[in-house]
Amino acid sequence: MNADAPRPLSRFTVIEVNDTDVPSCLRLATSLATRIAADLGATVIKIEPPAGDLVRRLPPLLPHGPNVERSALFQYLNTGKHSVVLDLESAPGIARALTLAGKADAVVFETPGRNAEALRHTRATPIEIAAFAAGMAHPGPVSEFTIAALAGLLHMVGEPDRQPLRLGGHQISYAAGLTAFTGLSAALAARSQSRVAPSVRVSLAEVAQWVNWKATSGTHAAGRSPGREGGQSEFQVVRCADGYVAVVFTVSQWPPLRDLIGDPRLADPKFATRTGRRQHVGALYAIMAPWFAARTRQDIQGQAQARGVPFGPVFTPAELLETEQYTARGFLADLSHPTLGPLRLPQLPVQWNGRSFAPHAAPGLADTPARAAE
Amino acid sequence: MTQPLAGVRVLDFGLLTAGANTSAMLADLGADVIKIESGTYPDPFRVLGKPDDTPGWWNRSPLFRFTNRNKRGVALDLKTPEGQRLARALVAQCDVVIENFRRGVLDRFGLDYAALRAINPRIVLAAISSQGDTGPERMNVSFGSTLDATSGIAALTGYDGEEPRISGMDVNYPDQVVSLFATGVVIAAIMEARRTGCGAFLDFSQREVASFLIGEEILAASADPARHDARRAGNAEGGVVLQDCWRSQDGRWIAVTVADDAAAARCGALIGALSAPLREALPAWIAARSADAAVASLLAAGIPAAPSNDGTHLIADKALAGVSLAWTQDGDLAKGLPYALDGGGVMLQRAAPDLGQHTEAVLRDLLGLSADDIAHLQAQGVTSTTPQIGDV
Repeated sequence: MNADAPRPLSRFTVIEVNDTDVPSCLRLATSLATRIAADLGATVIKIEPPAGDLVRRLPPLLPHGPNVERSALFQYLNTGKHSVVLDLESAPGIARALTLAGKADAVVFETPGRNAEALRHTRATPIEIAAFAAGMAHPGPVSEFTIAALAGLLHMVGEPDRQPLRLGGHQISYAAGLTAFTGLSAALAARSQSRVAPSVRVSLAEVAQWVNWKATSGTHAAGRSPGREGGQSEFQVVRCADGYVAVVFTVSQWPPLRDLIGDPRLADPKFATRTGRRQHVGALYAIMAPWFAARTRQDIQGQAQARGVPFGPVFTPAELLETEQYTARGFLADLSHPTLGPLRLPQLPVQWNGRSFAPHAAPGLADTPARAAE
Repeated sequence: MTQPLAGVRVLDFGLLTAGANTSAMLADLGADVIKIESGTYPDPFRVLGKPDDTPGWWNRSPLFRFTNRNKRGVALDLKTPEGQRLARALVAQCDVVIENFRRGVLDRFGLDYAALRAINPRIVLAAISSQGDTGPERMNVSFGSTLDATSGIAALTGYDGEEPRISGMDVNYPDQVVSLFATGVVIAAIMEARRTGCGAFLDFSQREVASFLIGEEILAASADPARHDARRAGNAEGGVVLQDCWRSQDGRWIAVTVADDAAAARCGALIGALSAPLREALPAWIAARSADAAVASLLAAGIPAAPSNDGTHLIADKALAGVSLAWTQDGDLAKGLPYALDGGGVMLQRAAPDLGQHTEAVLRDLLGLSADDIAHLQAQGVTSTTPQIGDV
């Protein structure tokens, strides 16, 4: 398909308001949602304060480049957007932001931003990002990490007798960002049919709890909560010749796994059932360890997949840049940034009739005069 | 709430979380979702979560019931020519098809995109697979946490300097997030189909979705050779002065984020450790206090802090539950919405369907089949209300 053909959301305009004094974990969600919309063709106008979006200064930082451009996090979350600088602490700045929002289809902003109340009442559909459910008593300062704790996700990873662990990256903010994108898409669908679009309110705590639904489902069914099992878990990450492999398998995949490893001790009846394997998980992995230690990730994955066993070799972000599957699918886009030079980054994880949506570079600070955006 | 997808009909071949939950999110926005299973291939969640072995167990799995509320259920054996014919007839009446079979399965049923488009040019087919529909690894299988490893998330998760960690069976993180993204793209494709009369084949790779969620790390590695090795750092985070969990006097793990130097100064003043490193003084301070007291004091000093909750806390905390959990009229629990729409949560129109519960109503109302036709299908085994499988 023609890479220059109009993108699916190209009829829509979305305003992203970056108010000051907002926790960065909320901003990451806002920015991911509108980045997806921008890559799908929406005109996204990002309203930044004079000092710039706070994410411009957050790590990981690239080795070279101007200070307001060096953040890989910023570059990743703002592809394809236009930037307009407005002082949202001044009356003219606020008026101009509201004018821009009034001409748009949707406006994405954070609560508690100082202008949240006004932004709820423009002609654009409000997409609001918050830390907690509406109506909760003011919960005080937040971070992604403390929200992960409250939502029960921390409790699920790590060793039972050691501190719980967060997942790497910004999973709480990003899960909320994906959610806000879907809410935005639903709102645009309603508007394009001349229906009243619902307002959308996304909270990081609720999304994290929604993602962690098996904790509540399991607690409701069993009367006690599932939690991190660490070394007692049926699935373990084991060392191999050139790194690590996640050992994952279902009940029906146990026989092919057992035959793959080929150690006669695995035929012991104590390993024949899932209950038995869980009871003797230490012994099970002690028997399997040498097989993994003697092989590379590629060898292990090849042999396991041939038997339909879903082992997962652990790849680092740097290794993913070279992955054959990602290269073959063109998942990683090459982007020439005006000041940073060549960058390689994931594009939207969907192919639409075979088409990928190559991202355009994130804007510099004050790239677009406010008048031009109007 | 207004229903953005009222009038949209979805044929749902989705299984487990990734596929079935994408359809559930469309149902929650007002779409009429018809879930297709069969006795020979029921949704594996009916089996994985089965509470006991007494007859009807396949309709009682909490995992299945959590995920499939607001759908109708039809049993059609797609391995039979008649089951395939009826599925194709349903495609003519639908706007969207969702599937997360292994690659090639839909083709074998004669339900590949080319076949669907010939029946209904406006159809949107969302294919959600482990690796995507193309590439050398397209046939690879995965199960939940396989993708924690292959996406790069596991390489960034783990105790300081120790081995990588996966989210595990009870989270299966990569399965949860794909529907949050796929639903929005499907809605965009429905809009395009309405506008242009042309549907779309949407090819989602779950592994790519998971890698997309650590994209800044991949971007940084592309520009900085020094970032070749990924190192686990426990709960620490770049640019954050101090972040971890420590145990309170009453045995709870307390998560604390000391974001910057100003927060570190406030924290030092609070705990009376103006000279000692926070890393040593803060754990001792928390260990000498109850969870409630420690969290309250830290929050009052402007420092994010929270206890590490488990499922029992979540169920008890109705404010935190908010819209993302829903209690049914008979006291059962189901998945809610990830967002509040017009300030509200999910509207539970119906409980998750029993296997084949709506076969007769759907085939009658949408395809005009008679009671005799349906009895004949039942006798031939094309439809059924009981599973014929064991483990998955």
